[in-house]
Amino acid sequence: MADKRGGKKKISVPPDMSAGLKMQRDTFVHTFFKKGAEFTEELLRENERLRKHAIELESDNARLRTQLASDEAIRELLRTVDQLEKEKQQLLSHVHEAEANSTRYSSRHQEMEEELSNLANLYIASYQLHSTLRLGTVVKHLRELLAQLVGARSHAYYVANPERTELVPIASDGVSLSQLSRVVVGAHSEPVARAAGIARIAERVFLTGVPHITERGRDEASTARDEPAACVPMRMDDVVIGVIVVFSLLEQKQHFVQVDYEFFKMLGAHAATALVGALLFANAEGKLPSLEALHNLGT
Amino acid sequence: MSAEYSCLVVEDSPMMRQLLVFALSRVKNLRVTEADDGVDGLRKLAGGRFDIILTDINMPIMDGLKLVKRVRTDPVHKDTPVIVITTEGSVEDRKRALELGANAYITKPIQAPQVIAKVKELLKIAP
Repeated sequence: MADKRGGKKKISVPPDMSAGLKMQRDTFVHTFFKKGAEFTEELLRENERLRKHAIELESDNARLRTQLASDEAIRELLRTVDQLEKEKQQLLSHVHEAEANSTRYSSRHQEMEEELSNLANLYIASYQLHSTLRLGTVVKHLRELLAQLVGARSHAYYVANPERTELVPIASDGVSLSQLSRVVVGAHSEPVARAAGIARIAERVFLTGVPHITERGRDEASTARDEPAACVPMRMDDVVIGVIVVFSLLEQKQHFVQVDYEFFKMLGAHAATALVGALLFANAEGKLPSLEALHNLGT
Repeated sequence: MSAEYSCLVVEDSPMMRQLLVFALSRVKNLRVTEADDGVDGLRKLAGGRFDIILTDINMPIMDGLKLVKRVRTDPVHKDTPVIVITTEGSVEDRKRALELGANAYITKPIQAPQVIAKVKELLKIAP
């Protein structure tokens, strides 16, 4: 405290009171320092805790960074997987396309091979048919052609007489010629139902020039006793001169196929000329035309 | 390029023989020799070595079944594959030919692709 002159005012304290104050001061100082120490310790503990927490956070942070990096890698991998999946789909699509092309080419190749085979069959049949003027050989070739290329079990050739009133069987295979009757054109006089049916069809084919080829299977056709498997007109210079009748087919021949229709067309056009040529050659007693006659043909 | 395989075709019908030769011409590296009947076939077999034989059954002088029997006793050709070709389609005929030692049986009317496939199969040529 200051006195009125500005100097310090000395306070007089009784000795017993002074000791009490001293003790109080000491107690206060002690308490103060103790609390200060406690507070410091508390601060140190808090500091330690925060330091640990900071370390944990850093650790978490590092882990999260790693995870993030890992997620990114996974995302990148997923993107790659997607890309690869797309490429796989494209490749599969190309493979399917290539397979389809291959199947198409293979199928086309097979078709062409079959077509080639059919053409070869037709060529060879035609070549053989015209390779001779001997009547017996022509008939033999016709028989072979029908039996071995078409699959006919029994068949016969009918040729019209000069008056065109009858169709006369001139050759047969698988059925005796003596069993075959002439077909009267314009009247159905045959007593046997089978013959009558066949005769009717042969006559119709001869008159119209339209072939009769059954499209039924072999079993069905064989039950139709009065219907031949096929009846084809034989033409020469657009004139029908007779018919070929296929009565039945071989066991393994279930039905006619596309090339058979071509064979019938070829036979219709070539059989007559081959037969007539051979007949004329036979009538000429196998003599070839003289050079002079051949020369006159050219002028 | 020389032929890798040789084939003997025994068939009395010139038309069928021509068809078979045409069909076999579609097989690469296959040389084809023709014979008119069984006896001619045996003669050709004696004069060379064949990898496969195709024979008709119904032939004059010596039929195809007799030829198959003879082939199976021939030391050179006893293991040579034989394909029998005939117009007969019954199970009995097929059995008879196979019992005599034929390896395969084709019925007429023949289809070239069928003949080619059978020959390739027996010669173990990739289709």
